[in-house]
Amino acid sequence: MAKQNPTVSPVITAVGFAGLLVVLLPVIALLSRVPWSNLASQLSSESSINAIRVSLITSVLAALISVLLGVPLAWYLARGPEAITKWLRPIVISPLVMPPTVAGLALLTLMGRNGLLGKFIYEQTGWAMPFTMAAVVLAGVFVGMPFLVLVVEAVFRQIPVELEEAAQTLGANPSRVFWRISFPLARGGVISGLVLAWARALGEFGATLTFAGSLPGVTRTLPMEVYVAMEVDPASAYSISAMLVVIAITVVFLLRSNLIKAFNGK
Amino acid sequence: MRKTFRAITFLVAVAVLSACSPGSDKGTSDASNSPESQNTITVFAASSLTKSFTEIGKQFEAENPGLKVVFSFGASSTLAEQINSGAPADVFASASKKSMDSAAALIPNSKVFATNRVVVAYPVAKPLKEIADLNNPAIKWVQCDHQVPCGTAADAALTADGVTGTPVSLEPDVKSVTGKLTALEVDAAIIYATDVKSSGSDFAALEFSNQEKATTKYPIGVTLSAKSKAQAFVDFVFSGAGRKVLGQAGFGGLYTGG
Repeated sequence: MAKQNPTVSPVITAVGFAGLLVVLLPVIALLSRVPWSNLASQLSSESSINAIRVSLITSVLAALISVLLGVPLAWYLARGPEAITKWLRPIVISPLVMPPTVAGLALLTLMGRNGLLGKFIYEQTGWAMPFTMAAVVLAGVFVGMPFLVLVVEAVFRQIPVELEEAAQTLGANPSRVFWRISFPLARGGVISGLVLAWARALGEFGATLTFAGSLPGVTRTLPMEVYVAMEVDPASAYSISAMLVVIAITVVFLLRSNLIKAFNGK
Repeated sequence: MRKTFRAITFLVAVAVLSACSPGSDKGTSDASNSPESQNTITVFAASSLTKSFTEIGKQFEAENPGLKVVFSFGASSTLAEQINSGAPADVFASASKKSMDSAAALIPNSKVFATNRVVVAYPVAKPLKEIADLNNPAIKWVQCDHQVPCGTAADAALTADGVTGTPVSLEPDVKSVTGKLTALEVDAAIIYATDVKSSGSDFAALEFSNQEKATTKYPIGVTLSAKSKAQAFVDFVFSGAGRKVLGQAGFGGLYTGG
């Protein structure tokens, strides 16, 4: 619905556009360095293919696990007792603002061979999570799931409680109410959250390096490949960067209406 | 109203454009005119020099009141790349000739001031018997990535000793490799003898059989855009005091700079 905006202040517009340039110019500068003519061959080099494979597998798994665990968590945060959820919410969201290396260190102290939980697992099974693809996935879930929870909780909150109560009075048990009423209504938010969590997991660098290391074909993801390639093969670093920028912009573009709905209602 | 708008957009445009023009020379010369920054020497140095150079920097500042040394430690290959992209370094101390050479356009003269060698470090609590243990898949080990000096030396020394096993990770610099060992997440790490020494008595090391392949030379030089005081720091590294710190840290081949 187009509505008439009040006159926009020219000063604010000018400052706003300066803000826009801060975001826009670096991206333009980056894209200007990309060797477009042999982009395909840059992206199909063995090291690029390896990194693309590792990144795709781990980020998709991280996004799916985020949905599996994050939707119920978001549901609890939206419908659970406020006395508890008001304390839980900041904890759940905290990875969003945590420096990634700190996140990596946190994961290492939990799941490393000497970690709180990892030590026990290592002693029982001889298996340790660091330096495995599982570590990359866990890092992705840790940093990505908060996005999903944030969006999905907002959507759950917009569903009128009366709708759920009505279903319950008509004899539906709580889990049936969730699956037949709440979840379908929140589907748009879940999809947005899934894609955001995926994109965040795809871009993770610091936590992955600290916790999972960087071995080609196993734990070296696209962002780490960019970092390494900057010294060895800058053209390939620019090519991979271009791909990641295009993915980022596409994701946000496709989700814009969904996200506005999630945080605005309607 | 419209005029103000135009004037402001113009000003913003000018400010933005001038800020992104490649006028880094203008920026630094402006900055270096102030006495404050003229007396600050920015040193880019290899990760493996972190402890020694921090100490040398302290002693240098104590001997030269008014001068200040600021360090940026990292993988030599990364630092060279940053210098080539216009990072404001006055001095570059690299862990290999190769990384120094890649910044040769901005650092035409450099001199070797020390040598170091990579070794196979392990926790004393869970010792390695021989280098060949690295071929055992149950032994987890890490090294620097191939383009980083500590990785180049590791590759050469490992090949010479016939190691065909693979590391669990190729880390971006030697600090990161050492961190994985001190966190006990790996059983061995290819790091510098100096890193083993500084990580305390909980860690020991096996020497590679081919010492020449395991050894790397550390050149140091000032950049073309360096402040006049920068050479004083380089001279201090070559001085008796500098050599003493480096020697205590376990560096070898300490040249007098003659």
